[in-house]
Amino acid sequence: MSESKNIIQEFTSAEYKEGFVTDVEQEFLPKGLSEEIIRLISARKEEPAWLLEFRLNAFRAWQKMPQPDWAHLDMPEIDFQDIIYFAAPKKDKDRPKEIDPKLAETFDKLGIPLKERDVLAGVVAVDAVFDSVSVTTTFRKTLAEKGIIFCSFSEAVKEHPDLVQKYLATVVPPTDNYFAALNSAVFSDGSFCYIPKGVRCPMELSSYFRINARGTGQFERTLIVADEDSYVSYMEGCTAPMRDEQQLHAAVVEIIVEKGADVKYSTVQNWYPGDADGKGGILNLVTKRGICKGDGSHLSWTQVETGSAITWKYPSTILKGDFSSSEFYSVAVTNNHQQADTGTKMIHLGRGTKSRIVSKGISAGVSQNSYRGLVRMAPGAVNARNYSQCDSLLIGSRCGAHTFPVIQSQNPTATVEHEATTSKISEDQLFYCNQRGIGPEEAVGLIVNGYAREVLSRLPMEFAVEAQKLLQVSLEGSVG
Amino acid sequence: MGHGKYIDPFRHADAPACHSERSEESVFRVAAGESLNLQYVVLPGESRDIDVNIDLVGPGAQAHVKVLYLSGGEEQVNIRILMHHRAPGCHSTQKIHGIAGGRARIDFHGTIVVAPDAQKTEAYQENHNIVLTTEARVKTEPQLEIYADDVKCSHGATVGQLNVDELFYMRSRGIPEAEARTLQMLSFLSPVIPQGREQEVETAVRSL
Repeated sequence: MSESKNIIQEFTSAEYKEGFVTDVEQEFLPKGLSEEIIRLISARKEEPAWLLEFRLNAFRAWQKMPQPDWAHLDMPEIDFQDIIYFAAPKKDKDRPKEIDPKLAETFDKLGIPLKERDVLAGVVAVDAVFDSVSVTTTFRKTLAEKGIIFCSFSEAVKEHPDLVQKYLATVVPPTDNYFAALNSAVFSDGSFCYIPKGVRCPMELSSYFRINARGTGQFERTLIVADEDSYVSYMEGCTAPMRDEQQLHAAVVEIIVEKGADVKYSTVQNWYPGDADGKGGILNLVTKRGICKGDGSHLSWTQVETGSAITWKYPSTILKGDFSSSEFYSVAVTNNHQQADTGTKMIHLGRGTKSRIVSKGISAGVSQNSYRGLVRMAPGAVNARNYSQCDSLLIGSRCGAHTFPVIQSQNPTATVEHEATTSKISEDQLFYCNQRGIGPEEAVGLIVNGYAREVLSRLPMEFAVEAQKLLQVSLEGSVG
Repeated sequence: MGHGKYIDPFRHADAPACHSERSEESVFRVAAGESLNLQYVVLPGESRDIDVNIDLVGPGAQAHVKVLYLSGGEEQVNIRILMHHRAPGCHSTQKIHGIAGGRARIDFHGTIVVAPDAQKTEAYQENHNIVLTTEARVKTEPQLEIYADDVKCSHGATVGQLNVDELFYMRSRGIPEAEARTLQMLSFLSPVIPQGREQEVETAVRSL
């Protein structure tokens, strides 16, 4: 027993290899949050008046809102006046069109190719966001040939204001919740993506978010619109340097899926989780929501959550169109002092709507890992169907695993099923592997990967390999 | 139960008059080796608040809760169960089955808490609901809070309707529709029908 405990301990104390800092000249707005700062952000980004108005309204609403405390999290007090809301790497005046080689190097180190020729032919288009600005978006031309718009949010505001105005905040209104309101007031950059009618996006689109500057927060905003009968697969990744103080990340993602369209959204979240004593790390407080607006539309969420000191995230779907469907696949790993409160909401409004939830929680160390979910069958959800499965795996005796599902049914023809189990890696399983010559650490990796397989297999290929490695690293030192 | 002390062997409230509000809050402490069996039956016409706190404080304590509800009118049934495993080696089961018709409102909130040192815990919870009418509402919140690793815990919750294939099967063999539905409902409820009250429950099902 004690031996296996040691193995677990070793296994769960791994290193965070993305924790470096890029030494690049940056410019900042002053610390603090006020209407003044919001006007400055807006002016710097040369935004139209309606967007400034949108920000200010959100800010005024936010000031009146209390910070939510319903989550199963031990949240530190956040001093919103002690955060820098805008930080951007300085542009080289001699070469305004080119990417700073240091930034290119950073993304290169993170394995994010910013030069199109480096990439395997037509595999992934990337929008790379560094602190508050988008550094570059690759393959824009190739995509434009098909009518696909993929650019940073700031560019979209300038180049496609009609589209942005039409869809912005239609899924997550500025007053939706405390952190969404904050984001609506100060959001800096993010990705915008529009797939026109009947177009199948020829490559994976992806956003990569990197926090670099000290004392800043990142507030990105992503808007994805899939017009009728289109298809897109979208991936999101993120990392940050290792620091002793905690940094705030409050993003909003909105997805609009029109009639017959299909969107697949995958996240591998690897923010800095803090050190083994729970010092530092990112507070990841994110609102993600999509709407299956038209009949027969489909939205699939896949997330692998391994980083962040605190994760507060509920990618949700509103199933409005008849016979629309949605899935939520999640693996959330917490180790050391990490805390995660994550899950999904499936709001069934239309006839014959279907949803499926598969959530796999893994907790190690002294971490707390919660699944929180809502499945609502509205009166109009005739013959709607939901199946939820939430499994928790405990590694070590001092961590916690919790499940908080809510099921509301207002329709007699709707069917909802929810199932949850909690278990640990048994000595038998470990023994079986050891006996066949598989080392303890490898055995835990094997068991965990097997446990999470259903979710990992849903990830795009480029992500799946990375995610598997990440799972293993996140749990290093925790075997037991 | 074969061993241990038997606490409050058979607990069910007498059926009160129609539309009466009745609330009962009960706290139980179950010590080492003891076993608690609770059974609640809510029949049509009753609005009830059932609020049970069970504390398993001694090693090897056991608790088994069964709730049956049948609501076909304007009833509001609130069921709240907190199963707190404080000691190692305890075992608990919960079965909550019910049928909601008419304009009934059913609200179930069940929590299993496993304390940090309550290793070798086994805790199971099942909540199954059938909704018969468009006006009936069911809300269920089965929750698990687990702070120990060597445990076997699960919960399951379903909200659905009577299976049409089963209905068809029975009708195709000459069982009238109303009778077939009664049989379906009785079999759905059977895990939670208390011994000796089968007749009463059957009459209530027929009255829905």
